[in-house]
Amino acid sequence: MSLIHLEGVSKFYKVGDQEIRALDSVDLRIEEGEFVSIIGPSGSGKSTLMHLLGCLDAPTSGRMEICGNDLSKASQNRLATVRNREIGFVFQAFNLLPKLDVVRNVELPLVYSGLRARERRIRAEQVARDVGLGERLANRPVQLSGGQCQRVAIARALVNNPRIVFGDEPTGNLDSATGEMILQMFKDLNAGGKTIVLVTHDPDIARVSRRVIEIRDGKIRREYAP
Amino acid sequence: MNILVALQIGLREIAAHKFRSFLSMLGIVLGVSSLVSTLALTAGIEQGTRAFMQQVGGLEYVTIVNKEISNEKFDFWNLSPGRTLRDGLAIKKGAPLVSHVSPELAVGAAISAPGRSDRKSIRGVYPDHFVVGRHELKAGRFLTNLDVERSLRTAVIGDEIAATLWPGLPTKDVVGRQIKINDRPFEVVGVLAKYERDEDRKKREAGKPVTPSRMGRRWDPFRQKNESLLIPFSTMFYEFRAGAFPLDSMESVRLDSLIVRIGDLDKFRPALDQLRSILDVTHRGVDDFDLETREEWFGRMESSVRATKMSGGLIAAISLIVGGIGIMNIMLASISERVREIGIRLAVGAKGRDIFVQILVESVSIAFIGGLLGVLAAFGLLEILKLIAPTENSPIMTLGGVLFSVGFAILSGFLSGIYPAMRASRLHPIAALRYE
Repeated sequence: MSLIHLEGVSKFYKVGDQEIRALDSVDLRIEEGEFVSIIGPSGSGKSTLMHLLGCLDAPTSGRMEICGNDLSKASQNRLATVRNREIGFVFQAFNLLPKLDVVRNVELPLVYSGLRARERRIRAEQVARDVGLGERLANRPVQLSGGQCQRVAIARALVNNPRIVFGDEPTGNLDSATGEMILQMFKDLNAGGKTIVLVTHDPDIARVSRRVIEIRDGKIRREYAP
Repeated sequence: MNILVALQIGLREIAAHKFRSFLSMLGIVLGVSSLVSTLALTAGIEQGTRAFMQQVGGLEYVTIVNKEISNEKFDFWNLSPGRTLRDGLAIKKGAPLVSHVSPELAVGAAISAPGRSDRKSIRGVYPDHFVVGRHELKAGRFLTNLDVERSLRTAVIGDEIAATLWPGLPTKDVVGRQIKINDRPFEVVGVLAKYERDEDRKKREAGKPVTPSRMGRRWDPFRQKNESLLIPFSTMFYEFRAGAFPLDSMESVRLDSLIVRIGDLDKFRPALDQLRSILDVTHRGVDDFDLETREEWFGRMESSVRATKMSGGLIAAISLIVGGIGIMNIMLASISERVREIGIRLAVGAKGRDIFVQILVESVSIAFIGGLLGVLAAFGLLEILKLIAPTENSPIMTLGGVLFSVGFAILSGFLSGIYPAMRASRLHPIAALRYE
């Protein structure tokens, strides 16, 4: 069975009287170990698609199965559980908590999976070292460079050992050299067996992946391998 | 998520915004300090009242008091001889449920011993007074029936009188000395024990100085008792009262006080009925007396203490509610400031429930810390109060009062945290993440 399986999935938003069809009957399968990019201009529905795939939201209609969970009509609580165990996010704006140091930021997902403090700390420190932040464990995000911040975010995405890692424009706030480095980390992760879904507006960045899905007006317009 | 983690997050949040947290606590601080102070003050009053009750005797004592006669019955008033020794004798004879009867006469007189004199109130009593007045002897004996029958010039004096007239003399040597009352010599046959409050006795036994009770602000419930000067009833009548109304016999002189003791509290009501029917006869059916029981009296005192407690508690409770609203206000502000943080927590897998618990724990922590500060403030306040305005009923901070107040603060923090916590927990992860 596919890791991600969408069948006729739609997502509508109501803005005033108008109904906006952000996603319109999308069919999509992603297998374990794939490296997929979702591209499209802003307003195309790629963010909505990522929110659904990332279990941040449930579809209005259609069938959605992620990591073997049928989430077609899932409640926020159910989504939160799947999100916590199976999914890691890396955002454009890093989305770190400014008041917490590196280790505490990294261990955040473990807090909500109910791990004990000692175990959380050991695991968070290990993952932070793995992404090359061994010297920075006690620093706060403001004391770090953009690339370091994004590595903290990657460590946080990985700490719960999820099956899918999402990158939402992960290089958008970085200079090109640092961006390259972050993309290389995604490639390495994929080589290690993680399923990666990259969301971007930039076809150049999408080139690192092995499968590109182009979204336009809420529909999958085409798929290709770069 | 576990409560400890939520507590850790909450405390870090409170520490990160110290001034804001303090402002949001202020209402709780004031509320708790006023609640603790009120409880301490009323606990002090309660203890003073209890000491007073102990001094005036237990429930088994009944005082027969004069009652104003209603206007339309005024013509009958002369028919009644009033409260006289006859009442006392009749009760003694005719009311088996009454164990002791103490009719008393009182007069102010000059007293003196060689080299010293004073003016005091003197009372003529029967031997039963020893029980009814709840006396204890330190030396010598109490007045006996013989003293009364023979109208002997004997006297039993309180510890304070002995100390005034013969300062420094051992009590046993005071017995047998002569005391002059309005220039008539009396023999001191007994000295009463020194009556004092439990805390004063403890202080004295521990060797600490006891604040002198005669001067200044301190009111001593035992002062009157320590200044007792008791002589036989008949002696009092013949020596000091007989001349006032030539037609009076000892039986018909109006008493200054008539107190009886009921033998068995289980038969309290029947005993009152006996008293009433006897007094109806001796007063010729005129309704000019009343039976005052300690029950009513104590009840009145207790209800006034309770009223004080209630009104103080109500004010404190209102300020705690206001404090709770303060917390709610700050929590709502702090949530709209932290929408993004909440969004991030949701994105990594926090459930609405986790956010709810986090906000609620933070709100309760603020209230709890505020409560502790309030207890400290109350402690300081009461110490200052004791220093600048010492009273007989000094406030007592009880553990129960402190726990109750802090508990109330926690409840207030809990209730005022519910709404902000609900708002925070209902945020949608996507909307919260996008919030700028």
